[in-house]
Amino acid sequence: MGALGPMRTTFNILLLCTIIAVPVGAQSIFEQRHGEVVRIASGERDRSFSTITAKLKAGNDVPYALALLDTLTVDEAIGGMFYSYSLIGCYLHTQDLLPDSLKRKVREAYRTRTMYRGDTENHWVMYYTGLYLAAQTWPNEGGSRWFNGRSSSENFQEAGDWLNHWVTTSSTIGQGEFDSPTYVTTFITPMLVLYDFARDPVMKKKAQMMLDLLFVDFAAEHLKGNYGGGHSRDYPEDIINPLAAPSTFWAWLYFGEPGFPPWNETRYRPRHRSAWEPVFGAVSSYRLPDIIYHIATDRTVPYVHRETKRVRNVIRAGREMNPPVYKYTYVTNDYILGSLHGGILQPIQQHTWDVTYASDKPNNTIFTLHPFYSGKELAMFFPEEEKFLSDEVDRYHKVYTNPNKWNSSSPYEQTFQHENALIILYHIEQGAKQPHVDGFFPKNLDELLRDPSGWIFCRAARTYVAIYPLKPYQWMEEEVNWRLRSHELNNGFIVEVGSADEDGSFEAFQEKLLQRKPEYKNFDSTRTVEYTTRQGAKMKFTFDGERVLNGDRPSFKDYGFFNGPFIQSALESGVIRMQYKDKTRTLDFKNVSIVETP
Amino acid sequence: MGSWLVAILLSGVLCSDLLVAQQETVYMAVLNSRKHRLGALDNPTVGLFVSTDAGATWQHKGWTGYIRTFYSEAGLDGTIWSGCGNGVLRSTDRGKTWRITTGGDVTEVLKVKVSPSNPKTVYAATAYGVFKSTDRGETWQQKNQGFGKPFVADLLIDRSKTKRVFAATEEGVFLSSNGGDQWRFAGLQGKGVRFIAQDPKKADRLFVGTEEDGVNISEDGGKTWHPSNGGLGHLTVYVIAIDPSDSTKIYLGTHGGGVYRSNDGGKSWTQKSHGLQNPDVHALSVIPSKSNIILAGTLNGGLYRSIDGGETWQFNSQEEAQVWGLSVQ
Repeated sequence: MGALGPMRTTFNILLLCTIIAVPVGAQSIFEQRHGEVVRIASGERDRSFSTITAKLKAGNDVPYALALLDTLTVDEAIGGMFYSYSLIGCYLHTQDLLPDSLKRKVREAYRTRTMYRGDTENHWVMYYTGLYLAAQTWPNEGGSRWFNGRSSSENFQEAGDWLNHWVTTSSTIGQGEFDSPTYVTTFITPMLVLYDFARDPVMKKKAQMMLDLLFVDFAAEHLKGNYGGGHSRDYPEDIINPLAAPSTFWAWLYFGEPGFPPWNETRYRPRHRSAWEPVFGAVSSYRLPDIIYHIATDRTVPYVHRETKRVRNVIRAGREMNPPVYKYTYVTNDYILGSLHGGILQPIQQHTWDVTYASDKPNNTIFTLHPFYSGKELAMFFPEEEKFLSDEVDRYHKVYTNPNKWNSSSPYEQTFQHENALIILYHIEQGAKQPHVDGFFPKNLDELLRDPSGWIFCRAARTYVAIYPLKPYQWMEEEVNWRLRSHELNNGFIVEVGSADEDGSFEAFQEKLLQRKPEYKNFDSTRTVEYTTRQGAKMKFTFDGERVLNGDRPSFKDYGFFNGPFIQSALESGVIRMQYKDKTRTLDFKNVSIVETP
Repeated sequence: MGSWLVAILLSGVLCSDLLVAQQETVYMAVLNSRKHRLGALDNPTVGLFVSTDAGATWQHKGWTGYIRTFYSEAGLDGTIWSGCGNGVLRSTDRGKTWRITTGGDVTEVLKVKVSPSNPKTVYAATAYGVFKSTDRGETWQQKNQGFGKPFVADLLIDRSKTKRVFAATEEGVFLSSNGGDQWRFAGLQGKGVRFIAQDPKKADRLFVGTEEDGVNISEDGGKTWHPSNGGLGHLTVYVIAIDPSDSTKIYLGTHGGGVYRSNDGGKSWTQKSHGLQNPDVHALSVIPSKSNIILAGTLNGGLYRSIDGGETWQFNSQEEAQVWGLSVQ
């Protein structure tokens, strides 16, 4: 170690010089990387319009790309809304390179192909973006020339109306499918294509502003390629391995993090159907504003970021169509601790809370859940019969009824977070399906200690996590993780997260926690827990009751639309103000304008 | 013209057309299939199927891909309507070409009902309430005034007074007396109502199928309701079909119990599921000209057909499919 010291110092100085010499910012990151995306994607053969676009743009594997495009104009394997927008995106990016016969086939596809509009927000955004651009590309044609029997002008009008409606909703009360590490791709990509090709300057501007909004929403909860905190929807594989999610690719392309290209390692290799969608970013004229890059990457000062989203449309068994979702996230240079306020906020794939930490290892996250499922939950959001929906959802999402699943929305789970401390409570009804709660702890933690005091201490690189289960539990070994399982129906966890910066050594962190325990006498009847954090904040939380912090009752109204050091917006204002040091960028959706200072 | 007609008669084409015209046309909406896989190349064809031989054979019409076709029926003018995830679809050429008549505001269309007195007037029951067109689908208006929660699973247009329309909601039965302009609560508070049927002989006699509470009957045009679950229990009843030639003979499609039949106008029920391999029956039709032929659409088990009034059932078609709706014109 000693012999290496001078050499390491020299290396560090050289590294510092290199960092200083390379211009840092969104533009330089993008310019360094977008060509590589096109080059690598052009070598892929995954039957997607994004890799066809890459091949044609790069001039690589062109005969194959043309033949594949020809096939896909009639191949029903890719259908509906995914087809609707990506076919036209590919066509508009590459039309100068296509033979007339193939251009005619692409046009014909919009007459002959079934294009399902879908039943989720991302479906509709893709469907209507595709319909808008196709109708714009082939105007003045009658209904017989379109798959839906509607004329070009009718399709253009309908698609434009819906996209305008979506932009307004998303910029005032938030998305229903918010902050999804997987589905963010299905919003970013259509907006990129819309931005590149919408001829109406207002629609183009709105697409640009939506891209800014999608990226800054991600940026505020981003840490070194990870999309931290609560998510509306995600797949178990991504929840337990955050850098495997599609959002990592976008972070790499626009934020410059993580340091490695996502396709380079098997564990992170894009595996989703829309894996190479960032090609549409790489060939786009959209450029990420520098301020968003800085919001995504400057983690010198820890911060609390709060925001309000909405539940997707509740069509029955609910009191209101789009109840609010309150999201709280604490971000540091080493970890993100984030939570949704709890309950059923999204069907099927909700991820209510986690701590995600910076690490060279996979599975860099810890969280708990109740693996709830019910036909009634699904019937809130889908019109099919309640008694058959669970099986039907299982066919597509595979794990919905699985008692071991790692994604779930549960009516029996609620949270209360203050900075880097979190209380999660469970109140599972008698007779409920899958009456247990599970916790995910990666096996590759650097240190794991289940202390006799009741605290579970974890260290992963510079992040320290302490979890206090309120009730007895089993500890089960699985392939990549330990599973904490408790069958107690009235249950809960206290979570405190720290780091080397905040607490010094791991031992010091433990020492602070060993001096405190939650108060939860008569918990089964009161469902109340009181806890004083290691930083002295007094938290009191009752399931289905009050959240009390230092004697006050914090109001969810204070969350605004966005409320954090980097983003400020009042709910329903349509005005979103980003701030980084002395720079601001304001998206005014009501006036369709962007104002930057200085 | 005369020689043209003779030529057709000689060829026998007109003969077959006349035969078809005497048969009822049955419309079957196939929502999806358990065999369907996202992105698969060999996905089964779903959507609208039409039969002109009392359900013995079927011909696919319209879009082949999955757009969530919940229900189809035809008006007196021959226009075919389909309620789909993509909105309300219309075909005026026997299903050769289609037009989505609704915009982005109309989705999850569970039923489309055409007025029996005026084929230009069409109602759509959707997850977001009722929409109505009075110009054969050129324009649509939302008609939700009076609903608490707008999810509407079914609509019934009273054939004796076509401005009277009943709606099956998650909060009971609602009734409009002015063609949907205003709705008022009409009974079965708090019950999830799935289906509404009208006795073909007595217009004031109405039946509803409910979520987990069997059947309720009204003898006074929806003013009062009483449960009638003898032999049925509290099963969820998805669909009700009444024999048009003998309205004491009534069939129910249930969740978990298959088909039930009443021979006494709904006073008592007997399970009639022999041969049904899937107990979740979501669609039922009695063929009017041959009322011993019954069709039963199941959730994930395809279509079954009985030729003996429901005593026995034989699998017909649509293996592992969700046959969501059946109608006869």
